[in-house]
Amino acid sequence: MIPTKKLQLRDIIVMSAISIVFGILYLVWIFAAGLLSGVLGPMGGALLSGLWIMACIVCAYIIRKPGVAFMGEMIAAFTEVLIGSVSAGSVLLLGFTQGIGCEIVFALFLWRRYWLPILMLAGMGGTTANFVTSYFISGYSQLAPGLLVAMLGVMLVSGALAAWLSKGIADKLAQTGVLNSFALGREKLQKERERKNHGLRAN
Amino acid sequence: MLEQYQTNNHFLQQVNPLAKLIALLVVIAAMIFVFDPWTPFLLWVVSVLMLHLLGGIPVKFITLISIPFMLFGLTFVWINAVFPAERGELILFSLFGLPIALENIQTGLSLGFRSLVFGTWSLLFVLTTSPTIFLHSLIQNGKLSPRFGYGIMAAYRLIPVFKNEWQQLKLAHRIRGLGEKGGLIGRYRQMKRYAIPLLASAIRKASRLAIAMESKGFDGSRNRTYYRVIRWSSKDAFFAMGVSSILTVLMISRQWWI
Repeated sequence: MIPTKKLQLRDIIVMSAISIVFGILYLVWIFAAGLLSGVLGPMGGALLSGLWIMACIVCAYIIRKPGVAFMGEMIAAFTEVLIGSVSAGSVLLLGFTQGIGCEIVFALFLWRRYWLPILMLAGMGGTTANFVTSYFISGYSQLAPGLLVAMLGVMLVSGALAAWLSKGIADKLAQTGVLNSFALGREKLQKERERKNHGLRAN
Repeated sequence: MLEQYQTNNHFLQQVNPLAKLIALLVVIAAMIFVFDPWTPFLLWVVSVLMLHLLGGIPVKFITLISIPFMLFGLTFVWINAVFPAERGELILFSLFGLPIALENIQTGLSLGFRSLVFGTWSLLFVLTTSPTIFLHSLIQNGKLSPRFGYGIMAAYRLIPVFKNEWQQLKLAHRIRGLGEKGGLIGRYRQMKRYAIPLLASAIRKASRLAIAMESKGFDGSRNRTYYRVIRWSSKDAFFAMGVSSILTVLMISRQWWI
């Protein structure tokens, strides 16, 4: 089977299933972030902001096709709305911009490279998009510039960490074998085969 | 609980979901450069009235479900009072040596009411739109490819299956002596234990679902018929005119009080 860059139905449904699981988690995390930001203000939200781009990174890293990061995030946002997040407006808008933020980074590497630093960059792209969107919808222009710079810094770190966590999850999933027909699983199989061919196993 | 409102037959429920979504985005865009408390406050009152009169949602329910937005709104008040971009002229009092200015509290209130407005408009969308109709509308009136639309809808059918799977996992772990531990750390460990098996089974089920759909001839092409046809109607025009006139009147009359 020749892997194509076009999204197959299987890619779409698997991507949706992963994003739905993350959508449910996103909703749970909103309560955690709500508590934190009640105490720390926007800084609390910034600390956890990376959690909301995990669907992008996991889907893109597994399927490795154009548009996956963006659609994954949109589906996760849509799930959040569907199962009971009442702030549909900001959730869908943030899903849209964060998805674009991640996708741009993958597009810069022509959807070909999925190394950890690039995933982290994509995570940072997602949280930056989150920052810019929040700047407008939550009126950050009225806040002290020092606070804003600190927030953006925290969000960038949070995005990078979340990407690292996402890669860990996806790699663990690949070990179970369910991803063998996707780009990530194929890459793992390929590596194993090469290792065997080079006789690295001493026998 | 939401379905009861989503499927009753008031005006807002009959408006095309895309129209409501666009209206929601327009309201968000219109509020971006508003920093006085009165404009969002008035818009909030109008929105709640709209939701009640045109959507048939009881005011009590709207108030209850808005409590999180109100709490979220309060954080804007204190954060703007403590960390403003420019401290206002009129100092009301000082808190731990920090002067708190009236202007900054007003900005905070404005942003607080803004979050209430966004919340209410989101409710307007969520409480009056059934998800299936929304997806159908995205496919038929928007540009979403049927391959995506139906793929996503099929995947949503897996949500109850995930729930069952989770229960099974829990029981399976318990029978092997991995009990439920309370507290944050216990929760975190649980999540770590459940995450991979849950995701793996989700992926496996999704792959099978895709094969089943394809083997039954689903190719995702646009050339197909629909069981539920969704059209634009005169109600959408009324809705669009109503929303734009509310916003226009508000934006013109706010010149008097700012």
